[in-house]
Amino acid sequence: MNRLFQRIYFDPYLFFSLFLLSTLGLFFLFSASNSDTSLVLKQTVYVIAGFIIMILVSQPDPDIFRRTSGLFLIFALLLLGITYLFGPEINGAQRWVRLGPFSFQSSELLKLAVPIFLANFLFDKKLPIQRKEIIFSLLIIFCCCFFVFRQPDLGTALIIACSGLFVLFLSGLSWSFIGGSFVLLIISSPFIWNILLQPFQRQRIATFFNPDSDPFGASWNIIQSKVAIGSGGLLGKGYGEGSQTQLNFLPETETDFIFSVIGEEFGFLGVLLLISIYLFILLRCFYLALSARDRFCRLVIGGLSLTFAANLIINLCMVVGLLPVVGMPLPFISKGGSSLLSLFIAFGIIVSMGTHKKFLPQ
Amino acid sequence: MIFEERQIEKNNFSSRAILLFSLIILGLVTVLIKVFSLQISGYSDYQLAALKNKNYTVPVQSLRGEIFDRNGKVLIKNEPTFDLITRPNLILDIDSFLDEIQPVIYLSETETSRYRKLHKEKAFVNKELVLKKDLSDEEIARFNVRSFNFQNAFIAKRFRRISDHPNIFSHVLGYTSRSDDDFNSISEIPRSHWKDAELLYAHGLIKGRTGLEEIYDEQLSGRYGKRVYEMNARGQLVQSLSLTKGEQGSDLYTNLDIDAQKSAAKFLGNRKGAVVAIDLDAGGINVLYSSPAYSINKLSNGMNEDEFQTLIDDPNKPFFNRALQGRYPPASTIKPAIGMYGLSNNIVNWDFEMKDPGFFTLPETGRIFRGWLEGGHGKVNMHKAFLVSSNTYFLSLAYQANISELSSHLSNLGFGQKACLDCYDEDQAFVPTPEWKYSMMNAGWVKGDTVNLGIGQGYLVATPMQLANYASILATKGQFVEPSLVATGSNKKSSKIWQDNRFDDSDWSKMHLALLGVIESDYGTARSIRDLKEFQVAGKSGTAELVSLDSKEAYLEVRTSELLRDHSIIIAFGPMPNPRYAVSVVIENGESGGAVAGPVAIEVLKSLIDE
Repeated sequence: MNRLFQRIYFDPYLFFSLFLLSTLGLFFLFSASNSDTSLVLKQTVYVIAGFIIMILVSQPDPDIFRRTSGLFLIFALLLLGITYLFGPEINGAQRWVRLGPFSFQSSELLKLAVPIFLANFLFDKKLPIQRKEIIFSLLIIFCCCFFVFRQPDLGTALIIACSGLFVLFLSGLSWSFIGGSFVLLIISSPFIWNILLQPFQRQRIATFFNPDSDPFGASWNIIQSKVAIGSGGLLGKGYGEGSQTQLNFLPETETDFIFSVIGEEFGFLGVLLLISIYLFILLRCFYLALSARDRFCRLVIGGLSLTFAANLIINLCMVVGLLPVVGMPLPFISKGGSSLLSLFIAFGIIVSMGTHKKFLPQ
Repeated sequence: MIFEERQIEKNNFSSRAILLFSLIILGLVTVLIKVFSLQISGYSDYQLAALKNKNYTVPVQSLRGEIFDRNGKVLIKNEPTFDLITRPNLILDIDSFLDEIQPVIYLSETETSRYRKLHKEKAFVNKELVLKKDLSDEEIARFNVRSFNFQNAFIAKRFRRISDHPNIFSHVLGYTSRSDDDFNSISEIPRSHWKDAELLYAHGLIKGRTGLEEIYDEQLSGRYGKRVYEMNARGQLVQSLSLTKGEQGSDLYTNLDIDAQKSAAKFLGNRKGAVVAIDLDAGGINVLYSSPAYSINKLSNGMNEDEFQTLIDDPNKPFFNRALQGRYPPASTIKPAIGMYGLSNNIVNWDFEMKDPGFFTLPETGRIFRGWLEGGHGKVNMHKAFLVSSNTYFLSLAYQANISELSSHLSNLGFGQKACLDCYDEDQAFVPTPEWKYSMMNAGWVKGDTVNLGIGQGYLVATPMQLANYASILATKGQFVEPSLVATGSNKKSSKIWQDNRFDDSDWSKMHLALLGVIESDYGTARSIRDLKEFQVAGKSGTAELVSLDSKEAYLEVRTSELLRDHSIIIAFGPMPNPRYAVSVVIENGESGGAVAGPVAIEVLKSLIDE
């Protein structure tokens, strides 16, 4: 066994912490879905497939990812286009594309393709980065986000934007530019509010700032989520015993609000344990990024792991009422094959970038 | 890139990565602080909110207490009936269910259509629904044999409030009806949950409306229990979590006497009037009857609109409780009170004699007040004045009275104020005063008004309850305690002792002797009832004039119109010489007091004493 691990590219810290996290995730999902065995079995298959894919993706040399990054982005955009043209409409949004027996969210691939492509584009540029390079990068980010945003899928669009901007920032974007864009963003916010956002998205944000305005309507979700978490107390109500979850007062327990289930049934200690595991994973990624063999690897590890972190924090802030409700799953825990597989691929790439040295010992 | 440049780039990357990762950690810490504030600081609030979400508490009705007479015989009981209750959530096809149950239970068109209307809603929330109320024995038997076919239905016991004597106790016991104002009796159960209350009574949440059912409602109804259900987000009941039993209402042991009340009803017959009888030892009210009456069983258990309207429209006003609310001039029955006033104020003494020519002339105006016997009673002293009911004697006595003193004397004897401690809606009638007349009629009090009081006519009115109370004071020589239907001695506010040291024991003895003579002597106005009984009775009869008449001819004319005829009144107590019961009888338009009201009083006393 040991010899096998020595011969493949493998990071035991990430592997075991992810294993712990996704196993716990299946356990939580069983309770959150009111003991829906078939759903949990399906998710288990995704987890096992995810680990295999992660190990497979860890093996190729980073250079291979770098050289194929353009093709990857084009492929991802192509799938997005197919979704846009042929995808079925579910709950008023076109997000899914069918490939044979599988269907998945094409936007998930962009979360990977955008940071890798930008890392490849920026890794050999001189510091500080030139204006036209910045503009090109922003254009790429904007286009990808825009299509996803129009699906509409605000959550994923935000994550894609983050993934690109993190890479841009890490590669040495000048502070003056950052400051300038920030001012621009504030100035253009009324425009974004009125023209870009859908009515239901505006509604969600409005509810966030005034949750008592409509307790049985738009702010129901967030109120029930707070009640679920708050009523968990220090130790929680016990596995399968959360009344908010089991009696369906809490919405979307299998996806966006699964953290509230954990809070209700396992209390503050459960939440502390869960966040510790996430923190451990993030710190390990941080270490891998700093010790990576070159600038491309650093940028990719940084971009992907920070995207993962952004995803996590947006979900957490949303369910505890610190941010408006946007559709965003809790990584490795929420139900959903596409996001889980794309996370495993991302970590496969991180392991590949972090474990391949210029000169391997053998 | 050259080595140095690479080093700069790496440092640049490191510092920016540290910055971002620090922000991430800051974000996670913020989330943890927020979670801490929800779960640790805000725990009790959120725990309460979660309980409020899921717990659905409904009130559980308790059995009402029963009401008994003074011998422990039941007056109002809870009679079980049986309802067919279904569980709509287990009935998937309502048509086939109804087809299946029709041969077992007879269902009317309204019952099935009501059931169809409510079925879906109740099925969704897992609540029960009554299909048929008050099953017959046959239906129960048929259902029980086939009950294995009906997992979705069961028979439940539901009570009704029933009296075996519904018509003779109607006013005093009162009736119950569905209540809509009990919602605040348990603060933790919101108003909207009351529609799902667990019922024991066929008529739902009931409450006493009149009579003892109303006065002692709190004691009778006990306390609601509560059942807590677990409810999911769609409002469906998942399971019963807990049941806190309520408290059954206490039984009510009254001073009423079924046999005596029956006598009162029987001998009053279908005449309008009232009978009140009081036990002198404890002040217990044994009889409180008003005629005509109505069935409380029907009123408590659903009377149809037509029947109810008939009762309301009845010119004899059956809902009017004559015993407590009827205002009648006390007529000659007031004479003992006037005598007491005269004696204690030294206006007259027992030996004082005067001539009764059959009328009294008011010196100021020359107005003539007639006695009942033309030509008068000759020479009368007080004793004889009671026996023959001399108007002249008491008119001239009243003529010498000070009206404010006389009014307060009458008030001390219970006139013009509520007499009963626990009667429903008692009228206090009233005693006239000069102030009252001035404010009501804008006219001054004249001597003629005072003189009229002397024979219980004019403005003075009293209820049969007040007359019985007054009779009791006379019977006990002023030692009487407040009358009550239920309350016993210790619960009574104070004993109402009439006392005047100018009216001593020998006066009382003479008074009793005189009132005994009214019935038992050869000259007494009520001697016609002397032979109806085996014990001796004292009393005073009266004939209340509805129309004031100065000539015999007019009087004869009035007699032809029934509603203008005089009311006959009697107060009596016995057995003498140690009276145990006092009674008052008023018969509307009954004419002569002694001969008409007298026999009723005697029959009631007989059934009380014979026990």
